[in-house]
Order: sequence, then C-alpha cells, then structure tokens
Amino acid sequence: MILRSLTVINKTGIHARPAMAIVEIASRAASSVTLICGGNRANAKSILNLMTLVITPGTQVQFEIDGSDEDEVFQKLEKLFHDRFNEDHYDP
Amino acid sequence: MTGSTKTTTTRKTRLILTGVPASPGFAMGCVQVLVNQEFSVSQECILPERVPKELSLFQKAIRQSIRDLESAKQNIQKRVSKEDARILDTQMMMLQDPMLVDPVVDLVRREHYNARWAFHDRMKLLIGQFEQSPEVLWRERSADLSDLYNRMMNLLVESGPVMSQEGASVETGAILIGHTLNPSHLVKLRQGQATAFATDTGGRTSHVSILARALKIPAVAGLADISVKAEAGDFMIVDGSNGIVIINPQDSDIRKYKAKIEAFRRQEQELLTTRRLDPQTLDGKYIKLMANIELPMEADDVEAMGATGIGLYRSEFLFIQKGNPSCEEQIEAYRYIIHRMNPLTATIRTLDAGGDKIIPELSATDEANPFMGWRSIRVCLDKEDIFKNQLRAILQAGEGSTNLRIMFPMISSVQEIQRAKTILAGVAKALTDQGVQIPHYEVGIMVEVPAAVIMVDELAREVDFFSIGTNDLIQFTLAVDRSNERIASMFQPHHPAVLRMIHHVVQAAHHEGITVSVCGEMVTEPLSTLLLVGLGIDELSMTPWNIMECKKFIRSITYEEARETVHEVMSLPNTEEINRYLKKKYLQKISDLGISSFIVTADFNKNDRALIKVKDHIVNLDVLQ
Repeated sequence: MILRSLTVINKTGIHARPAMAIVEIASRAASSVTLICGGNRANAKSILNLMTLVITPGTQVQFEIDGSDEDEVFQKLEKLFHDRFNEDHYDP
Repeated sequence: MTGSTKTTTTRKTRLILTGVPASPGFAMGCVQVLVNQEFSVSQECILPERVPKELSLFQKAIRQSIRDLESAKQNIQKRVSKEDARILDTQMMMLQDPMLVDPVVDLVRREHYNARWAFHDRMKLLIGQFEQSPEVLWRERSADLSDLYNRMMNLLVESGPVMSQEGASVETGAILIGHTLNPSHLVKLRQGQATAFATDTGGRTSHVSILARALKIPAVAGLADISVKAEAGDFMIVDGSNGIVIINPQDSDIRKYKAKIEAFRRQEQELLTTRRLDPQTLDGKYIKLMANIELPMEADDVEAMGATGIGLYRSEFLFIQKGNPSCEEQIEAYRYIIHRMNPLTATIRTLDAGGDKIIPELSATDEANPFMGWRSIRVCLDKEDIFKNQLRAILQAGEGSTNLRIMFPMISSVQEIQRAKTILAGVAKALTDQGVQIPHYEVGIMVEVPAAVIMVDELAREVDFFSIGTNDLIQFTLAVDRSNERIASMFQPHHPAVLRMIHHVVQAAHHEGITVSVCGEMVTEPLSTLLLVGLGIDELSMTPWNIMECKKFIRSITYEEARETVHEVMSLPNTEEINRYLKKKYLQKISDLGISSFIVTADFNKNDRALIKVKDHIVNLDVLQ
C-alpha cells in the first residue's frame, strides 16, 4: 500500500470532468484507490463520491493505493494532476 | 404486507378544500405526492417474490439509459463537438456509480422498496447534496443528476408496488395528489394503485377527469393549492361527488364518509339491477345508450353496465400508451373491441391527438392555443402515413364483423370529410386488392366545431351518422376554454346558443335520414339528458358507469313531456333561467330516483338544496360546513 500527496493546481478544482478523469484511471486499476481530503475518504472509482468532497483549487489531497499496480496507478494520477486534468484550455 | 403507512403521533390540522367534482365517489387514504409534477412515486413496499423482477427492471433501465445516452452522444459529437459530448460521458459514469447503484439495490433487496421509489429516494439525496454545494460548478452538476432522474423514472414505469388483493382495501388505499395529472399517468397506473386523485389544476371535462370516471376512481380537480397544503402520509378524504377534500379529517368526518362509501356501493348495486331493462321513455321512445371507452379491455364490461354498443372509442389513448403503435398493435386493439361487441355497434374514432392530449412523438407542444391548433383530423390529414396506417388497421380488424363505425373527429369543412373519405376509400381498395375482406362499415363525423353546425346540411349528405362532441362544441361556441378554472362557471351546457346548435344538427340529420348521437360529458347530467331526449337525439354515449343511472332516468320520463320542456326552455333567454326552470320542474324527481349523488353540487345553489327532501343520507347535498 502506498500513501502519496498531490496538489490540485488547475483553475477549477475536481469538479465533474477532472473527477471523471480520475475515475477513468482508478477504475482500470487492479488496486483499490482512495482519495483522502481534509479527513474525508472517497472511493476514487466513484465520480459521485469524489464530487461530494468538493475539492477546490490549491487543495492538497492524498491517494491511498493498495494492490499489484499501485505505483503505476499513482504515476498516471500524478501526470493527470500535473497536466491540470488536461482541461485548462477549457473555460467553464 | 402492503408497506409502510406513515403514522404520526402529532395531531395535524384539519383542512377542508373545495374544487371541481371531477369523478364521483368517495375514498379515504394516505396521500402520495406526484413528484416533479411528472412522476408518481409510491413508497409502498413490494412483495418479496417481486424483488428479482424489480432488480432486473432497475438494471434494464440503467442499460437502456446508457444506450440512449450513447446515441445522444454520437449525435452531439457529429453536430456540435467532442468536448460537448463529454458531458454525457459524465452522466453515463454517474449512472453506473456504485454510490448511486448499490444503495438502490440494497433498498430493494433488503427493505423491499420498489425500485422506482428507491431510485427516487437516492437521487433526491444526491441532488440535494449537489444543490447545496458552496461551489457553483458543483451546484450546476445537479442538473445532470436531474436529467438522469427524469430519464430513469421514465424507464422505470413498470416498477412499483403490486399490492396484495386483501391488503389493498378501497378505504385505505393511496390518494394521489399533484399539481397536474396527465392521462398518461392514469393509463400507466395498475389496478388498485390509487383509490382517488386530487389536483391543483384541471376541470370536469379535462381528459384526465374523464378517464378517472371511466376507471371509477373518485377525483377532485381544480383545488388550486392542494399539492402545497397536503403532504405525503397525510390522511385524506376525497369526495369526488361534491368536489371536497378533507386533509387530516376528524373522527366525525371519517364516520360520515364511511357511511357515504357504504351507501354509494349500495346504490351502485341497485343500479346494476336495471341493466337488462330497455332505455325507453314511458311513452315508448327508445334511446340507444352506448359507452365511451379509452382502453380495449373496457369493452369487456360495457354490456354488463347496460350499454348496447360503443359510441366512442378514443383511439388516441393507444397512441399515448405506445408512442406510435405499429399496424399490428392497432389491429389487435381494434379487433378486440369490434369482435367483443359484434353485432352491437363499435364506433372507432380516428386519432384525436393534440389539444390537451399530447402524444410526445407526434403532437406540437409549442402552440399558444392548442385547442384551436394542429390537432385531431388536421394532424391526420397532414400526416397521411399515420392516418392510412390507422385506417388500414381498423378495416383489417373489422374483417368478419357487421358492427363497425368509423368516426372522424373535429371536421370543420365539407372538404375535410371528403378528403378523409377519399383516403379511406383508397385504403379499402388497396386492401381489397390484397384479398382482405372489407367488412360493411358506416362513416360518421364528430360535430364539435360551430362551422360544422352551420354547414350541417351539406355534411349530412356525406356521412351515415353524426356524433355531437359537446365538450368542444360548448367550448368553441361560447369561447370558453374548458380547462380554465377562472371561467369554469361560463362553461354552460344549457346555454341557449348550445341548445339551438344541437337542435339545428338534429333537424338536418333527420332530414337526411341519419342518426345523431351525443358523446360529450353533458350526457351524464340528468337534466341535460332530458333536454337531449326532448331535442330528438337518437343515441347517447357516455362513461360506462353512468349508463345505468341515465337509463333509470330515461325510463322515468315521457318523450312528449321532454319535448314540451325543450319547447319551453328554447323560449328562455339565458342559462340561469333555463336551469331555474329545469330544477324547479325536475329536481324532486331526480332526488326521488335516488341518483342525485351523481349530480354535481356546483349545479345547485343553496336554495335548491333546501328544495330537496332527502330520503337517504347519500343524497344529502349539504356541503360540509
């Protein structure tokens, strides 16, 4: 099991589209993926669960990943966060 | 087990509301609210053996939604952009989300709630959470959830409680309340699902009221704000005969209405015994009484209710139920009616959509004035494919019968009926060429537009029968929208102009030797029946349940007297004087016949009520308080 931190650096936070991107990675993983934010835990395979945490820009979140592909999954998530969820060209 | 009836320990306030008596009868039970003004949800539990069925309905609805969303997405991708289509990916993902699906499955599997309610309950919670989010981007996403909610609720129509026979007694069933209620809500209800309706809007001749009467479900419409004043779980009495609703009644109300329910049943029984008697006046004038039906299965009961035929089958309800039914589906429905009735008359009215009967796939929904819009025969003549399909189905269904009548609605000119007849002849010829035996049939029109009344001499030469649709004829003659509660009192069946119109139609028809029937709701008021008989109408067609009382009344009058009454009435200048005259002459008779529980209280003022010596508490017309 690994526990790593990432910071949300896009302009809009983890609303529907970023949450969907996280779910797309997490649901393809063999590992269990949990996002922890301000003491709340969310199943990263559930878009509704992620969204109910209302994670705004600048927030630091942790991922608890447990399973055979945990490192690989984290790398993908790290890239996603770093790339600002591929959406900063998009102005909501 | 029939589920959770909410019991409250806190004493709630008793509240009496009055509205329009839309469908006679009495009921008491717990309130269920129509959510979103669209969907009825019931918290009733299901029987354990239905759990697998409910779960599979739920899974099927999800799969269907995903398919629908996928095809919508393709569409948007093509027409707008890939980026915009992503929003639908979000919806698809939400719909398969364990946070949504698992609790619903749990509620069905463990608590035995119906899937529709479980989904409604879960979504309400989630939508609430999103709506209350401090961030606007999150709040906006509640719209996605609402979309999904609507999509799924539409697909989950078959879900719901199936009450056990013994558990669902009439006195304790559910009472549906809502702002509006559409015919499609009622059509989709199953037997025993609701025992009464109460709505903010609507009037006596809205189609939903007509349907409630056909289904023998008491209903009060036009209550203005019942959907706000009553809440789910409130105990409520619905008095559909007098247009009264009592929310959280006191014990004395309940006792009083238990007695009314009992007496109403006794009276129904008594009327049933008259069903084999002929509908003949004392001096031997025979009035053919027929039934108006909406569903093919209603044909099973019409004879038992004393009718000698079907004067109006509203084929549009098949379209409301099925979208655009295939030729085969139509043949099946029409054949059932025609052959169930043969040799008694079976009148099939061609598609009468539009106005207040919106068929989503077909009707225009953006009309400022739908009653005068693209409706009825106008739609059929524009959409010839649908029209031909229906005519083909009717003729094929009639094979081997001798009782078929085809009726075209809302004819307003000679050209229209000629065109409809030409199309019908073309369809008949094509079928004959294919070797189908075309049955003997008659063709008629609804006379419901003033223009048709003015042109009635010419029209009479075109057809085999007339049927006067009084609901529309009154609305168009008096320029009174029949669904507008503000001018409800101006909708006057006994207006001299209306009576003269009917008189004119009868004269022209009899001159050409064709029959005239009346199939509007006015037929079921005894005083109107009297006038129609006196005017020389040959046939009356009505909600099956009203036939017996109508027959009882006809058997108590003479044609001679009815004609004299009409003669008198025609010389009076306005509706008020006409009604005063009629009531003075006939109210006691109607009261003595014991059918006054069917009379709408609104027709009588306080002085009239004092005139009636009641012989049974059911004919007590006193309004509470």
